[in-house]
Amino acid sequence: MSRIGMGRLACTPVLTALCASLCGHVATAASDAALVSGIIGAHCVACHGPSTQTAGVRLDNLPVDFGDDRRAAETWHDVRNALNSGRMPPRDASNLSADDRTVLLDWLDLALADSEEVSESAGTVMRRLNRVEYQNTMRDLLGLDIDYVKNLPADEASRDGFTNNGAALRMSALLVEHYLRAARDGLGRAIITGPAPPVFTHRAEETVVDKVKTVNWSNRLGRTGTFAARVPEFPDEGEFVLRIRARAEGPSGAPHPRMHVSVGYRADTQTPSRTVAEVDVPDGPARVFEFRARIEEFPLQSRTQSKYPGLLVWVRNAYTDGQPPPPPEKVPFEENGKLKDKLVWSEDPDFPKVIVESLEFRAPVYASWPPAHHKRLVPVLPNSADEEERAVRESLRRFLRRAYRRPVRDEDVSRSLRFFSEVRPTVGTFEEALREVLSMALISPDFLYRIEDAAIGAPLDDDQLASRLSYFLWSTMPDERLMDLADRGLLSEPAALRKEAGRMLDDPRSWAFVERFSDEWLDLGGVHRIAINPNYYPGFDALLKEDMRRETQHFFAEVLREDDSAMSFLRSDFAVLNQSMAAHYGVPGPRGGDFQRVKLHDARRPGGLLTHASVLLSNSTGEDSHPVERGVWIRRALLGDPPAPPPPAVPNLETGDPDFALLPVKRQLEAHQDNAACARCHQGIDPWGIALEEFDAVGLRRERITRRSGERVATHPVDARTALPDGSEVEGVDALAQHLVDKRGRQFAKALASKLASYAMGRSLVPADEESMNEIVGRFEESGYRLRELCTIIVTSELFRSR
Amino acid sequence: MSRESRHLSRRAFLHGTGVSLALPFLECMEAGAANRQRPKRLCAVYFPYGIVDRQLGTEASEWNWFPAGSGSDFRFNRSMESLERHRSELTVLGGLSHPHGRVMGGHDTADTWLTGALMKEGHLENTVSMDQVAAARWSGQTRFPSLVLSTDGGVGEPTRSSTLSFSRTGQPVAADNNPRVVFNRLFGVDPRSIRAQRRSLEASRSMLDLVLDDSKHLRTRLGTADRSKLDEYLQSVRQIEERVQRSQRWLDVPKPSVDATGLNLDADDTTPAELVKTMYDLIYLAFRTDSTRVATYQLGNMNGATSIAGKFPQLLGLSDNMHSLAHGARKGDDGAEPLGLWDRFLTEQFAYFLGRLKDTPEGDGTLLDSVLVLYGSSNSQTHVNLNYPLVLAGGQGMGLRHGRYLRFGESTPMSNLFVTMLERMDIQNDGFADSTGPLAELLA
Repeated sequence: MSRIGMGRLACTPVLTALCASLCGHVATAASDAALVSGIIGAHCVACHGPSTQTAGVRLDNLPVDFGDDRRAAETWHDVRNALNSGRMPPRDASNLSADDRTVLLDWLDLALADSEEVSESAGTVMRRLNRVEYQNTMRDLLGLDIDYVKNLPADEASRDGFTNNGAALRMSALLVEHYLRAARDGLGRAIITGPAPPVFTHRAEETVVDKVKTVNWSNRLGRTGTFAARVPEFPDEGEFVLRIRARAEGPSGAPHPRMHVSVGYRADTQTPSRTVAEVDVPDGPARVFEFRARIEEFPLQSRTQSKYPGLLVWVRNAYTDGQPPPPPEKVPFEENGKLKDKLVWSEDPDFPKVIVESLEFRAPVYASWPPAHHKRLVPVLPNSADEEERAVRESLRRFLRRAYRRPVRDEDVSRSLRFFSEVRPTVGTFEEALREVLSMALISPDFLYRIEDAAIGAPLDDDQLASRLSYFLWSTMPDERLMDLADRGLLSEPAALRKEAGRMLDDPRSWAFVERFSDEWLDLGGVHRIAINPNYYPGFDALLKEDMRRETQHFFAEVLREDDSAMSFLRSDFAVLNQSMAAHYGVPGPRGGDFQRVKLHDARRPGGLLTHASVLLSNSTGEDSHPVERGVWIRRALLGDPPAPPPPAVPNLETGDPDFALLPVKRQLEAHQDNAACARCHQGIDPWGIALEEFDAVGLRRERITRRSGERVATHPVDARTALPDGSEVEGVDALAQHLVDKRGRQFAKALASKLASYAMGRSLVPADEESMNEIVGRFEESGYRLRELCTIIVTSELFRSR
Repeated sequence: MSRESRHLSRRAFLHGTGVSLALPFLECMEAGAANRQRPKRLCAVYFPYGIVDRQLGTEASEWNWFPAGSGSDFRFNRSMESLERHRSELTVLGGLSHPHGRVMGGHDTADTWLTGALMKEGHLENTVSMDQVAAARWSGQTRFPSLVLSTDGGVGEPTRSSTLSFSRTGQPVAADNNPRVVFNRLFGVDPRSIRAQRRSLEASRSMLDLVLDDSKHLRTRLGTADRSKLDEYLQSVRQIEERVQRSQRWLDVPKPSVDATGLNLDADDTTPAELVKTMYDLIYLAFRTDSTRVATYQLGNMNGATSIAGKFPQLLGLSDNMHSLAHGARKGDDGAEPLGLWDRFLTEQFAYFLGRLKDTPEGDGTLLDSVLVLYGSSNSQTHVNLNYPLVLAGGQGMGLRHGRYLRFGESTPMSNLFVTMLERMDIQNDGFADSTGPLAELLA
């Protein structure tokens, strides 16, 4: 929970000023306390004081400076609920003015939030590897790229949305059971036994034409068309390679067609094929596309099934222009004197097509036997029983160093040897016993958790730093270079950290950081939580949601790679688009599915996060914009100032009036603001969202807003004019973006730096971090708010380098 | 690991859709063991955010979840019509709630639906859930002590847990959410020989022992916060150890063979109707085969930000996500229908489940006679932790008088219901959580 910079830490002058500007009239906690005591004395103490304690509640001696006094905090919490719901004070007993009520509630919000933070401990707690980290770590440790997490439930997120927060992440029997199964399964494949398996190959130039007549079996893949190859013989496991020779065909300058390749099908369970890859097919002569994957990851036909024998490989064209494919025509033909029908699909000459010329399959592929991953895990193969212990020792010495991400201790090895001697007599081979021994390491806390066993605030050692770096920037275990630097004690120097951070950001593995941080900071997963109502957006293709999410990730990657100013997130003169997103927005863009930087010219749709469809859709109802959600998103993601969650038993905005639903949202929200209980929070939220009213639920500009209530429909012109909480008048996204850059730039910078630091360390920030964060933000500002530099500033900061 | 199909030919099997043979319990019945041996079972199903709860006399009240009338003279409104066929096998309960829940956050009460605990203001420890009381009592009689399911899976976070079940010490019991995983756990057949399986279980046990042992040394090096994390880990490992021991005990008892035909084990969160139906099918099969006697199923939690189930109504063609439907239902007459349609969907799925139990003969009655099913939520309207919508169904063999709509006042804590449910299942208790006595009105 990054409350830094949220206006909740009333103790620092900067924040107090900020808070005052946000909320208008809130003074410091200290002066408020006096004010609060006065109000309570005047309105509450008659019934909740020294002489009577209605409902057992006494307020005159309840401490206002209650810190982590839980009992006092609880009573104050009840007071807040009673005030919020209007239950207290009773109307006949008191005439609490709206202003006094607001003062009380604002103070309660602040004081209760502070008290919660005091009770949270500082310092990074030992942290379970989350799904992504576990997957990547297993992959790198075993050298085998298979899916280790397919049945794992989602990770717990912290209050600020991060799934790498040690305090939030939990362990359960379900997970341990899964880790053990994944370890045994992975090691069962990584450590091989026996001679090199036979290699199977298959080549096809024409598609299979199956009995299913409703499919357009063809080598020419346009609006319709499926190319299928049937591989008669294939192994049960191992890596396969597919080489597909294909070219594009279509009018010049048309978008690139997109080749989608998938493998497998199980008839008995009707398990559909699984995607191998999807790639653009650019213009020019035919070329060979090569794909690799592990065959056991795909739904394989049962071998005794005779109905659909063989392994099926599918090629389709994933490009779409949003038009439905035309229905086939029935064409009569004569066969053996009988008149029959066949289905014929017409070809659209303007539609970009993939032409498949040939497909080659080969499996299993390996550069050597035993394969490299085996040799790394079993460096010494014993020739006799006497040599086995030495062989296990050697294997453990190398494996545990990498699995535990720290130097190996004697007791690590002796425990494993003890287990080896227990297991060895019960199994047939050395390899089988070794798999069990290494599996044990993979369910031990040293592997599953990132343990930093230093005192809170003490500097981390080199190995712990190596792990922090690699999980921050790569979401996986340290590579050999980092471990080597740690072994030699060279990592704790800021210069070394700076250099390594640069190297790691340049490495393609940093995509894990881009993807996860942007996803969780900006809540991009929201695109999949909102279902778009097809009655409002006919023809909206749900597959576009993933492109929307990618757009924002690629935008983040672009700012990071080019070391642009982070202010580009608020407002920029470029976007990062692919063909589908450019077509969605109706702006010129690149051909093909890959994302590229595109210069923007229309001031009505500036670049920056505010105009990203991912953000606008995630904070919509699926039918219309949702200005409240959009406002909350801006406060949380961009300003680092999330509004308090709605109180329990919020009063209803009950009107019973069907005409209400037909009103424009802005008018509906004004009704919120007429109600004092709602207004207190909503006047700080709604205006931010109203400024984005120019954009509908799928992120497109609109001139008119349609409202429906039952059968009735009303349309209204867009009204994006609003007064922000500090009194500034803005209208529309361009003015809003400019306002954020001009007036809230530093606040945004602090919010971003806090989120990034929180992600980098895997914990929420606490008040004690305030000073370090101010220093980080100061250096960030000096750098001209360059994003890449911010990563380095954080990595070299005291905060990052200590527990 | 879907190996079920490879073993079908050699074994008699129970179809996912209903035909049955060769069940341990049926065999023992045929052998003359009488009805007294019929096991009693418990199932609890929870949905979030509440229902349409409107004043009578308005146009919207036809979508009221609670019936019109009272006692045995009641009529289901539109969203509950599908339960009419089970009218005499259920009781609709109105007015109940957990007193502790009344002072908790509007979205915080899913965790305490079966526990009655107080979770607020940083005190986020839960207490045992009533289903786990039953599971502990019956432990050892079935292969699995309980079947814990939810849409989100895992444990989630306190007040937004993705499970209904909590252990004796208030730890969340992780829920499964993948139908195929559940099926394989219940009925999947390990292709290895019994001897190989026994060896592997023994290896697992000594491995877990060593890991536990070593972690104790690690514990001494850690600070307080880390220790509580490590304890969570140790507890998980111990649970696995218990599970391994249980597997060892059950190794010689073959799993019931169940054919996956008719079960959609690939159903996931993009196909809500299929997913919910499949989860009910799995609970049915688990009871039918006496693989477990306790099941809980959380259809969704109230974590608006991340709940997987939130989008289900939209995927079914309704106008909004769960949370917004629930909010909308409080606004004007127009809001009732959209939520009412969602209520109706949930009721239909529930009625399907009751139907399967009822259509399965067991002893001289039906399976439903011996299953006590609690269905409902901990919100009436969204954010309102009062007047939980509840249906208690089945268990006619346990001395309940059904076919009524009963209303209670706020002075009756919901835990009284649990006291009576547990009693009816022969689980003697000195009360549950904040109970003040049994709910005698339920008895025949």
